[in-house]
Amino acid sequence: MDAVLLSVSDFVDLTNQTLEYAYPVVQVEGEVAEFKVIQNKWISFKLKDDRALVSCFASVYQLRTPLENGMKVVVVAQPKLNDKGFFTLNIKAVKPVGEGSIKKGFELLKAKLEKEGLFAPERKRQLPRVPKRVGVIASTESAGYADFIKIINERWGGLQVDVAHTQVQGTPAPDQMIRAIRYFNSLEEMPEVLIIIRGGGSAEDLSTFNDEPLVRAIAESRIPTLVGVGHEVDHTLADMVSDVRAATPTNAAQILVPDRNEIIRTARAQANTVGNLLTQAIDNYSRQTKENLEAAFTRIQQKLDDTFERLGVLRVAIAQLNPENVLQRGYALLRGEQAVGATLEVETFKTIITTEVKDVRSK
Amino acid sequence: MSGANNDKSVQEKLTDLSELVSWFQGSSFKLETALDKFKEAEALADTIEKDLTKLKNDIKVVKKKFDSEN
Repeated sequence: MDAVLLSVSDFVDLTNQTLEYAYPVVQVEGEVAEFKVIQNKWISFKLKDDRALVSCFASVYQLRTPLENGMKVVVVAQPKLNDKGFFTLNIKAVKPVGEGSIKKGFELLKAKLEKEGLFAPERKRQLPRVPKRVGVIASTESAGYADFIKIINERWGGLQVDVAHTQVQGTPAPDQMIRAIRYFNSLEEMPEVLIIIRGGGSAEDLSTFNDEPLVRAIAESRIPTLVGVGHEVDHTLADMVSDVRAATPTNAAQILVPDRNEIIRTARAQANTVGNLLTQAIDNYSRQTKENLEAAFTRIQQKLDDTFERLGVLRVAIAQLNPENVLQRGYALLRGEQAVGATLEVETFKTIITTEVKDVRSK
Repeated sequence: MSGANNDKSVQEKLTDLSELVSWFQGSSFKLETALDKFKEAEALADTIEKDLTKLKNDIKVVKKKFDSEN
């Protein structure tokens, strides 16, 4: 069979049709080399292993984690031969793999967002003490979600919880969570808190929460955010950018609502305090009344003592004026007219003498 | 009093209870009305306990799917 004669353009088109048919999407793992950002819009790099290398091309918006030469990544891409005759992988998604590269990607993005002030303490908003309506973004099939619901039901009641079920790991997870964040933020009546939870997992599973667009969506949320991902030791950029970080989904529930038993104990203690204050007030009033009565009694007693003392003095004075006492001292009382021949009555202490006046002279 | 309290949230009742404690500790305190206030505080503590014990959370999974833009 004779070979088909094609123009160069047709050959390129045919090759691309064949590639698209045979490999609509490929996943290729390799090491990043010759990484370049072109005009802040495009990125290009080589993906290599020990034997071969291939050119990769993408827009900056497709890059969800910063890259650096030497990082090990998996690219999801479409192979293509371009009009200049270069074979490239047109990137749809790229994610670091292996502990070292995941950590490197985390550190690069952390530094970038930190520089923008996204983790600044002054950006953090307080959560309402007792929210009435909250939004939750989680996989409803996960153990972390079950723990969260169990704890909020144990601790509190009367809370309206709207749950957005999304994937919390794997390539589609970040975009699903971003859509859920936007959904809650677009509601006419927004929830008071937005909670994003996921249980523990491998570094690769949790790397979903280091996705740059997701981290930015959390930072941009008009609703205050509470993020509890993984275990106590796990730190993701999503929880660093949130308003409040919870160590685990269980801890998120503990932060979100108070413990009803604790509130009941506090209410009882307050009622008891009121009772004690009432008893104390009654005691104070009783003591004060008693003290007032005692003071009044002391005053009356003092007045009486003063009066009796004055009476004693008066008695002495009166006694001194009694004529009997004068007679007792040897004086006599004379009654009658002071004229010669008149009869006089002379009263001494013990006797009464009747006598006649013999003579009356002036002194 | 109890009618008015039924319309209030637990949080509002907790605030009322705290205000009663403050009244007892403040300068507005009057022995003549203290007993009524004490009874009010006890009733509030009772209703708070009842409310908190009986209240259930309303958990709903939203119908919207998030696996695509639509």
